[in-house]
Amino acid sequence: MAERKELYLGYTTDKAMTPFMQDFLENLDEDRLMKSVCTSCSAEYLPPRQHCQKCLSEAKLTEMTESEATLYSYVVVNFAPETLSSKGVYIVAIGEFPSGLKLTAHITNFATMSGPPEVGMPLKLKFAKEADGKMITYRWLV
Amino acid sequence: MARRVAVVAGGHSKFGKRYDATMRELTAEAYKPIYDEGITQDKIDATVLSYAASQFSGQGAGSALMADYIGLQGKPHLRVESACATGTASLRAAWGMVSAGLYDVMLVLGVEQMNRVSTATATEYMSRAGDMRWEYPYGISFPAFYALMASRYMSEYNMPHDILAKIAVKSHHYGAQNPKAHLPKEVSFEEANNAISICSPLNLYDCSLITDGAAGVVIAAEDRVKEFTDRPMWIKGIGAGASEMKIQDRPSLTTIPGAKYAAKAAYKMAGLEPKDMDMAQVHDCFTIAELIAYEDCGFAEPGKGPEMVENKENYHDGRIPVNCDGGLKSKGHPLGATGISMTYEVMKQMRGEAENASRQIDDVKHGLVHNVGQSGQFVNVFIYERGW
Ligand SMILES: CC(C)(COP(=O)(O)OP(=O)(O)OC[C@H]1O[C@@H](n2cnc3c(N)ncnc32)[C@H](O)[C@@H]1OP(=O)(O)O)[C@@H](O)C(=O)NCCC(=O)NCCS
Ligand SMILES: [Zn+2]
Repeated sequence: MAERKELYLGYTTDKAMTPFMQDFLENLDEDRLMKSVCTSCSAEYLPPRQHCQKCLSEAKLTEMTESEATLYSYVVVNFAPETLSSKGVYIVAIGEFPSGLKLTAHITNFATMSGPPEVGMPLKLKFAKEADGKMITYRWLV
Repeated sequence: MARRVAVVAGGHSKFGKRYDATMRELTAEAYKPIYDEGITQDKIDATVLSYAASQFSGQGAGSALMADYIGLQGKPHLRVESACATGTASLRAAWGMVSAGLYDVMLVLGVEQMNRVSTATATEYMSRAGDMRWEYPYGISFPAFYALMASRYMSEYNMPHDILAKIAVKSHHYGAQNPKAHLPKEVSFEEANNAISICSPLNLYDCSLITDGAAGVVIAAEDRVKEFTDRPMWIKGIGAGASEMKIQDRPSLTTIPGAKYAAKAAYKMAGLEPKDMDMAQVHDCFTIAELIAYEDCGFAEPGKGPEMVENKENYHDGRIPVNCDGGLKSKGHPLGATGISMTYEVMKQMRGEAENASRQIDDVKHGLVHNVGQSGQFVNVFIYERGW
């Protein structure tokens, strides 16, 4: 079994690590985004959940093959919660993959955009680590 | 057979940044007018005393503190928590106990003390009502959740921000006439439409206030109502609903699925329809939330809420007056008190006791309360009927 690493999803966390989440994060660390698929009824979940919402069977981590999505909705956060208040303006985006699965993450390269985001615009999934190497996450690029 | 239950009295603290009071004093301020009407502690069988978030005060077991402070020692009490729908969740719980016959007379009181921490800290506490694993790490504050709805609504229905600003103008117009309001001032359309951005597309005037306050009502079983009032407000319909925990999992962001369900259930129980409502108090934690509420409560077809705004059908003399007390936007939003404050306002309007004639709605026979917790995870809709 892999050594239990301190990996934090996103920028702050509840730190409530489980073996399932550890597995998810280790995959993320190697640039693989994992959904989960129910071993009994094949329902798919993104972000992954360990128990199927429909039949409560085990759902297993499975690699996402899609990396391009469209912008379903967004918010430009000018006034942040305390723990992110030193971060400056950030954009939270819900992206929708062609399969219909959705993912919530930051759009990090918005400085390259000429105006505000537009619902329906293309997004690309990107993996990233914060400077200290501990916090790993996924992002959207426009 | 369930007993009929009525709201027989109510009390309301001043809403605002209340550095002169904390949770306990606010509780007393909301109960005092009820006490003064003659509903002394000995007449109350039990209570539901609630607040949404204990982080703000750090106080655990707060309902015990509240009960003790207002002299209800020995009376059974409990706290119910449903984020910003805590007030009506408390009322729903109490209704169940009274209608079932467990108690005859109950005090239901909601309070929140929010201004002892900075706005950034308050925003932080509230954002923890998002999914701690998948949403909170991305810094999705409350305004951000509703901005996600606003972006989607504006895109799907091609709506300009102007409509949202017009809702803020209305709220402040009525809040300015409500002596209990937190920010009782008129605001111009230009000011509201061009205010500083908080969570774009939502700006300062799209947001409700961070408020300290309390509100309470007393409910009684049908055979006891006469002891307290000859103007009972009957609870005719109650509907409750829920929506997905993660906002990305909602089938639509232009409606709150749990609110639609709750409204339908309340109308069904009451045997009434949206057109029978003479007024509504809806959960306008953000202007977009008020707009979506028009549609979820059946006052406008999906996508047609903006027309209601343009035609001023939501004013006190319009087709369906909404939030003529200033709403969460101008009256303020002390989370746990909000649902009770809405209930109090319907009673006031029914009794023709609005403080200013210019915000008094004419001849209210039926009123609706729509109270949403978090971004729709909890919703309670109540329908009231004038009993005189
Ligand atoms: C929008 C918000 C961030 C502004 O907070 P803030 O910048 O700390 O505001 P302050 O208390 O410092 O007040 C600054 C000024 O703006 C005004 N103001 C504050 N909030 C306001 C609001 N929501 N609408 C209009 N004016 C507001 C104040 O009256 C004050 O005016 P003044 O300078 O003339 O006295 C805050 O009100 C907020 O977070 N609201 C949403 C609350 C929420 O999410 N509730 C739960 C919803 S379910
Ligand atoms: Zn399954």
